[in-house]
Amino acid sequence: MRSWLHLLLTIGLVQASTTALADDGARNRLAWMLQCQGCHRADGTGTGDEVPAIAGQVSRFLHVEGGREFLVRVPGVASAPLGDADLAALVNWMLVEFDPGHLPESFTPYEPAEIAALRTRPFGPEVVSERQRLMALLKAISK
Amino acid sequence: MKALDRWSEAASRRLAQRSSRRSFLANLGAWTVGAAGIPLLPVARAEAAGTGGPAEPAQTTGNTQDPGDPTQCDYWRYCAIDGFLCSCCGGSQSACPPGTEMSPLTWLGTCENPADGRSYVISYNDCCGKTSCGRCLCNRNEGDRPPYRPGDNNDLNWCLGTKSSVYTCSTGVIVGVKE
Repeated sequence: MRSWLHLLLTIGLVQASTTALADDGARNRLAWMLQCQGCHRADGTGTGDEVPAIAGQVSRFLHVEGGREFLVRVPGVASAPLGDADLAALVNWMLVEFDPGHLPESFTPYEPAEIAALRTRPFGPEVVSERQRLMALLKAISK
Repeated sequence: MKALDRWSEAASRRLAQRSSRRSFLANLGAWTVGAAGIPLLPVARAEAAGTGGPAEPAQTTGNTQDPGDPTQCDYWRYCAIDGFLCSCCGGSQSACPPGTEMSPLTWLGTCENPADGRSYVISYNDCCGKTSCGRCLCNRNEGDRPPYRPGDNNDLNWCLGTKSSVYTCSTGVIVGVKE
């Protein structure tokens, strides 16, 4: 009897958390559309050198030192009109949505406190050279 | 002074008598005025002459879930549109007029559909490549932010990533719905 109860409870919990995740997915998708898609495009492919590609690229930065910070310090992310918790959720969603193949095994999702600290130091024009530096590091380790 | 007046009048009369109506000089005036029709700087576009008065016959989408007239500024999708309506320019609320290119970079906002009360995500893709349509100018600004937040600003010329950055008109494409 107890095991059935346990089973039902577990199923209920799993369904609840899946629904919550689905809700979060819709919310993150909406935030992506309103804050990012306009320039990075719906499929995240960007436009050449002007607007960086997200698809197939964004998770790569997590493999090199400075990359994790870079993803939040880029002006578009740091200045997004979202609270720290919503921004953390969005960035975590983007990594999985657009570049799951490069996500490191050891990846720990961004937390609001980390977002809060990083976004107080947004890049200025030096973001271009910083991105080039990180891409060179990535090339060196073939990531 | 009077001598100058007399001379000016005489010179003008001589010129008028000698130039035909079709001469270059006669047409130069028209061309000079026409040049003023070249589109203003994008940010100034909203203050350009004209309001959203219809030059086109009224339209309907034929879909009760998408009510209203896409040639009018108060069509529900246009809650944050700033520019000429492609529906008045040989295109539609979702499509560019022939010969223009839809900009892949765009401004997105949400508008409430009166048919179901839901907020839809609208992508205001500009159509680019031909001179400004000049018809049905609308300027609504729900969710619009000042130019220091360029990604949220609808005054900018969003003809980016296209072969030509000459702005023709704006669409209001539904790309999603707010859950």
